[in-house]
Amino acid sequence: MNERVAVVGYKQTKHTIDSPVARERMVYELVKSLYHDMGITKDDIDTFVLASNDFTDGRTISEVFTVPRIGAYMKDETKVEADGLNAALYAYMRILTGLYNTALVIGFSMAGSEFRVPLTQSYTMDPAYERPRGIINFYSTAALQAGAYMKKYKFTDEDLAQLTLKNIRNANNNPFAARKDPGASVEKILGSRPLYLPLREAHVSTYADGACAVVLSSKKTAKKFTDKPVWIDGVGHFMDTYYVGDRDLLAMEHLTAAAKKAYKMAGIKNPKKEIDLAEIHTNFASEEPVLTEALGLFKPGSGKDVVKSGASAITGTLPVNPSGGPLGANPVNATGLIRLAEASAQLRKEAGQNQIKGAKTAVVHAQDGPGAQLNTVFIVRR
Amino acid sequence: MGRNVAIISVGYNGRFISKRPDINIPELIQPAVNNALGKTKLKPEHIDAYVVGNMHTFEGVNQPHLWASDHFNGSGKPVMRIATGGTTGASVYQAAYYHVASGMYDVVMAIGWEKQDEGDSQVGLMGILLPEAFSLFHFGPDTSSDRGIAGLGGGGSTGGAAFQAMSYLTRANAGIEHIDRVAALMRSNAAKNPYAHLQQPGCTEADIAGTPIISYPLRFGHTCPTSCGAIAMILVSEEKAKKFGLTDRVAWVKGLGSGTSDATTGNLIEGQITDPAEQQICKITAKKVYSMAGIKDPRKDIQVAEVYSGFSHQDLMWPERLGLFEEGMAPKILDKGGYAIDGELPINPSGGVTSTNAIGASAMVRVGEAALQVMGLAEGGHQVKRKIENAVAHGWGGLFQFVTITVLGKTPVKK
Amino acid sequence: MTQETRIIESTWDLTAYQFKIEADALSLFVKGLKDRKILGRKCGTCGTVYVPGPTYCRKCLIDIDQVVEVSQEGRLDAFTVSLADVRGKAVDNPFISCTVKLDGSDSFLMGVLEGWTDWRSVKEGMRVKVVWKDVTQGALADLSHFQLI
Repeated sequence: MNERVAVVGYKQTKHTIDSPVARERMVYELVKSLYHDMGITKDDIDTFVLASNDFTDGRTISEVFTVPRIGAYMKDETKVEADGLNAALYAYMRILTGLYNTALVIGFSMAGSEFRVPLTQSYTMDPAYERPRGIINFYSTAALQAGAYMKKYKFTDEDLAQLTLKNIRNANNNPFAARKDPGASVEKILGSRPLYLPLREAHVSTYADGACAVVLSSKKTAKKFTDKPVWIDGVGHFMDTYYVGDRDLLAMEHLTAAAKKAYKMAGIKNPKKEIDLAEIHTNFASEEPVLTEALGLFKPGSGKDVVKSGASAITGTLPVNPSGGPLGANPVNATGLIRLAEASAQLRKEAGQNQIKGAKTAVVHAQDGPGAQLNTVFIVRR
Repeated sequence: MGRNVAIISVGYNGRFISKRPDINIPELIQPAVNNALGKTKLKPEHIDAYVVGNMHTFEGVNQPHLWASDHFNGSGKPVMRIATGGTTGASVYQAAYYHVASGMYDVVMAIGWEKQDEGDSQVGLMGILLPEAFSLFHFGPDTSSDRGIAGLGGGGSTGGAAFQAMSYLTRANAGIEHIDRVAALMRSNAAKNPYAHLQQPGCTEADIAGTPIISYPLRFGHTCPTSCGAIAMILVSEEKAKKFGLTDRVAWVKGLGSGTSDATTGNLIEGQITDPAEQQICKITAKKVYSMAGIKDPRKDIQVAEVYSGFSHQDLMWPERLGLFEEGMAPKILDKGGYAIDGELPINPSGGVTSTNAIGASAMVRVGEAALQVMGLAEGGHQVKRKIENAVAHGWGGLFQFVTITVLGKTPVKK
Repeated sequence: MTQETRIIESTWDLTAYQFKIEADALSLFVKGLKDRKILGRKCGTCGTVYVPGPTYCRKCLIDIDQVVEVSQEGRLDAFTVSLADVRGKAVDNPFISCTVKLDGSDSFLMGVLEGWTDWRSVKEGMRVKVVWKDVTQGALADLSHFQLI
């Protein structure tokens, strides 16, 4: 058995809304340069775990033509059909058994140019009832949640715009983000196209072409790869019920359960104090207060105070998405894995302009399904 | 090498059949889950986590586990979705194994299913190659006749399988009659398995030989049906197995692995050309798995095999590639009755995939059937009577390039 | 209790996608076909010759750009005889689809096999050669078929 597992290498593509290369080339270039940066070859990798989805790829068995591109030819390989952080979770378990010491985890999609995300999302909905009615979908669920939060906690449109602006500005300084809007302002956000009010176009994450790859290693072999391992000290994942009407969209109890499990594993008693930063998977800006509160990072209903005090800014007491988060780039399937890469960059002091000083412990989050039905949480430490 | 893990229960939704217009996907899954739980004293609250999967493009519902979560008791629990094409079921089960072996969870349920009356399997299958086929059309192929198209894609609806079958027959110096014979055996085995789809008691070689040839040497009688069905298995740690008082009738996971080759035409190992019937990745993976399971000579140490054969010639090819028979020997062993349920090394007592194929379930059904054989619980007359110490289960997927192998046994590997 | 079940119609619309495809291998291949040449790419490290030739080697995971021409003769590998259509109806003129390994190539090419009278006499390992269309124009169709020698 291996007792501890670390992120020993990570790399993401420069995400764009229209990649000049096909996904096979994108994946190949990314993995090859990660191996090069780490000074390793594909033969240093024991097991490969991909994250993709046949609907987002528009192909049945979507990994058929991508596995040889990551060096998995004649090797042990499998695929998680969910966000890439779940692939990392699976690779983590594989390494814990001691059967493997190293794993390459990769998530990718062409969400910017090859397909319309709302279309593939619509295929998720119950085909007999919700899909043909078209009322409940990822967007409207997020809008219902946002509306409920704003009403209950007096979180205004301006507060939401301010929160969105924080993320856009962070993304502006993130070389990998697809969204660049140096002239972003509260007024511009408030004036952007209404979708499902209170949600507007500016609040939606930026669906992009992109990929992210992470190398995990057991404690035994970590030293071989880096002197800056980022330890995965806690993990948790939980599923909520499907029907949106049956859920408490504000409490997000299953996310809290996932977080509690991860905190317990990592020995974290007071996340508000012990967590230095959060990289979370938000498909819409309005999810940020709800998710961070369910993660126990802020007091329930404190969204307004957090925005006003700048607590979640890079210079704040508990920065949230210093990378700009998915508002900067959301290459579906890679998005949660990118959070792990970004958190690792922060802990290794490799986050460039967005670097947070002295960050030692981070919480990483990914979601799947309408209204974050399935949530995955990692606690990572340097 | 991780904690010891045991399969303690295998449940089916019922008999796998071609059409279930009376139910939807969640309703197909639920009875399998209940069946697996019902064979134990466990309640849904005892399950720590779920691993699930199917080939969702076949039914046209993206990530249907989200929709079905309440039906398999997954809401409020950890759930992971795995999908790897034909090997999906086995990949799901392997992920469940890692959930337990890693120490993360003690009791995990693995679920695989396919509801092939919903959606169009051919569209789903075409979806594998469609973008690549589209790309060929940018380069001016001859589309004026069937021949031009066949030259591109390889032999019509059976695709690469017919190439593989021909290649296998040449290498094994066998004939189409051997494929007929093994196909007939599988259908008559299926008649002894209450969950199997195409049950034909006493099916003969002549029955199969009477079906038309699609693409020589493959006939209709050599292909698999499209089935609706679901399977659920419960995996537990050694500690839990003891605690539940379940150490007699369990199947221990002794070795497992999954391997990948390349889908593009032509396969090449260490400078040597291999043909579609070579299946180098299966041999490599089998070797690793046997070593993990402490199997020195698979021909002696393994007493029953469940192999994944979408086409009947594979019922001959896979046991050889898994090292159960010498290469080229399978047709001779078949002729001597070695394949039968009471034979020297029974292959697919369940009737195999050519009798029952709910794709996302199929590779897990192989593991489940191997487990039932080890436990001595195979129903309806397909239980092998001889003492079974070890069983091997196999799956393949993608465009012949994915493989999954598992060895289950009566006693766990000593740590 | 009775249960009411209804069937609803729905589709998975693949035309809603815009696929980006790596075209390097086939572009080079059809360029060669125009000049009646079979072109591929060779890995400088392991020596593998891919036809059509991608721009990377799957064994070494490195870029490859060495263009090589391979022989127009080779070995018949696997094949299948199409005797019926998808519905099982016998076809009037059976045809053979095959894979061929041309000399100097490590990949297989797929195509139609001609030059036989009884398909039962066709055997793996027979020698074959490329037959061109009368006019080649830089398209996959330029390679008409493979002929038994």
